[in-house]
Amino acid sequence: MITLIPIVLLIIEKHYASALRFLVMYTVAIMLTFYYLSANSTGFIAAFLVGYCGIVVQFMPSVITAWYVIRTTKIDEFISCMQRMHIPDGITIALAVVMRFFPTIKEEYGSIRDAMKMRGIMLGGGNAVKMVEYRMIPLLFSCVNIGDELSAAAITRGLGGKVKRTSVAQLKFGVADSVLIAAFTATAAIFIGSKYFKL
Amino acid sequence: MKNVIEIKNVSFHYKGAGYESLRDVSLSIEEGETVLLCGSSGSGKTSVIRLINGLIPHYYQGELAGKVSVAGRDISKTELYELAGSVGTVFQNPRSQFFSVDTDGEIVFEPENIGLEPTEILKRKDSVVEEMGIERLLGKSLFSLSGGEKQQIACASVSALLPEIILLDEPSSNLDRDAIEKLRSIILQWKNQGKTIIISEHRLWYLREVFDRAIYMDGGKIRKQWRREDFLQLRAKEIEDLKLRPLDVPAYFSVLFNEKNTKDRGALKASEGAICLKDFYFSYNHRPYIFRKKKFTEADGENLELNIPKLKLPRGKVIGVVGKNGTGKSTFLRCVCGLEKDCGGIIEIDGQVYKGNYRIGLSYMVMQDVNHQLFTDSVEAEVLLSMKDKNEKRCREILEELGLFTYKDTHPMALSGGQKQRVAIASAIAAGAQLFLFDEPTSGLDFDHMMKVGRLLKKLAVSGKTVLVSTHDPELIEQCCDYELYIEHGRVLSFGEIEDRTAKRGEKITICVNT
Repeated sequence: MITLIPIVLLIIEKHYASALRFLVMYTVAIMLTFYYLSANSTGFIAAFLVGYCGIVVQFMPSVITAWYVIRTTKIDEFISCMQRMHIPDGITIALAVVMRFFPTIKEEYGSIRDAMKMRGIMLGGGNAVKMVEYRMIPLLFSCVNIGDELSAAAITRGLGGKVKRTSVAQLKFGVADSVLIAAFTATAAIFIGSKYFKL
Repeated sequence: MKNVIEIKNVSFHYKGAGYESLRDVSLSIEEGETVLLCGSSGSGKTSVIRLINGLIPHYYQGELAGKVSVAGRDISKTELYELAGSVGTVFQNPRSQFFSVDTDGEIVFEPENIGLEPTEILKRKDSVVEEMGIERLLGKSLFSLSGGEKQQIACASVSALLPEIILLDEPSSNLDRDAIEKLRSIILQWKNQGKTIIISEHRLWYLREVFDRAIYMDGGKIRKQWRREDFLQLRAKEIEDLKLRPLDVPAYFSVLFNEKNTKDRGALKASEGAICLKDFYFSYNHRPYIFRKKKFTEADGENLELNIPKLKLPRGKVIGVVGKNGTGKSTFLRCVCGLEKDCGGIIEIDGQVYKGNYRIGLSYMVMQDVNHQLFTDSVEAEVLLSMKDKNEKRCREILEELGLFTYKDTHPMALSGGQKQRVAIASAIAAGAQLFLFDEPTSGLDFDHMMKVGRLLKKLAVSGKTVLVSTHDPELIEQCCDYELYIEHGRVLSFGEIEDRTAKRGEKITICVNT
């Protein structure tokens, strides 16, 4: 059920393809858990599936939510929102840089995959360690370089100063937000209550 | 006129570097002046820019001697964010100077940082957008823009800050001709507004009418200074001796790049041993089925972003692939070396037909950012990785051929840009590639390095490989290309031999289409 919330949000924001993909993945995992796997299933495939379904079912809701947040929040809005909540600048800027970095990493990773394809070393010569090594080393190098240039650019542009940052984004805490927060807090309280304090 | 920038006897030594990057540099720049910094890579141009925007000594650490004052402030005692309101910088690499992911957020980023009122910021944003005519770029993701558009947004965000001093660090490196023209008009606009502008640049032709004073740097020192009139009087030979790129290419450029010989499309005489490309069709956004991807055919017509029914590439030649940004040059190269799976092209060499994944071993692309293609911890291992039978003797031959043997145990990442490029080429030769593709190998290089790349391409061609090089540098085409392939909207508009290579710059170059 919880998984449905971010998926509905994704649909509202018109990311249909990714919503569908997440939905299918999650449904498959849930179906498998309930109909195929049981406490006494054995064998390699079953073990593999238990791992896969476990991870997907447990983590999917938070992964989709994170994906939704990153895809739809503008960095500018994010910074000013954090500021309103009086979160220290150090934390805000670090998080903002992380958000800025996801698309960059994706781009860099794409080019590295291309390069590996051309060299015919996608499988690292059958060596799993090499396979990871060939991906990670160039990726780390280029991310470090880009990160360095990025922070140099950001500070010449006045980020991190003692001046109070303003924002053109109009963010307001509406009735809907209050209702949602109340609802989620109540759910969480009931969940914790029923699980740890047997009522 | 009062001096807004005053640099007095400054020397700087980056932490960990084995040499001084700036040696006793003194420079004063008047208000409203436009200064061009030229010189080869590593001559200290970028360091001067960093001195003025305060990255030296506040971000890049090292030993600084001497005094720098900008807009009446002593840099060493000024925090960077205090400087942000008066100095704006446009950097070389559009990829890494953005902080936002969307264009609107990027333009207002700086004014927000210095704490202006939101209404004032919006007013500035509107006026900047109108001045530069970039309405159509608003509301987009920065990652979907072309290099030229990114650089426009970078200029806009600097503009929105209304700084007195604007610094540009090799701003045209990744731009095509149209984008460079736009950049020039933006710089002129700033100049008319009375801003002080400092540009560090390798490409000189587009700045002819822009700068007031040229400063030539070499080995961390200011060697020479000219007023514009004097600089323009320099003869081509003198410019070349200074290892600068030529001052006058536009005429040559426009002829070369606007040649639209639509006849004889790709009709090259069936010469012996030509490499034949057949049925290269491709598009990025045509996905009619969800699960099964359709192969593209000629019938897709207008929707295709690459449409090359047949093309014969002569062997052992350097072929320049030209055309505007975003017209399919990179797509073409990616399809040829088999990186785009949906492109079902066929390559024929000596009667042998290569399809699908077999194309990959046949061709090798040297990417613009060569860092992505080096995977191991030594140059030798890099070359051996490409060989199926690890033949050390052959490896040695290849390395010696490319002048890399002395570096065989060095970590590839510790090499210079040009050396990395050569390592990538060495690994491709080892893999037995026939077709070498270069994606803008000379963007951001100085004259000397560009000529080196040119010689290398020629050498590859002489050894019997076919070289395809996409480029925006007319100087490179002039130096090393035998053929020219003009691509527009994914179609080959003209393909032919560059006949009169020795024609002087500025004169009309005749392109002969072989029939």
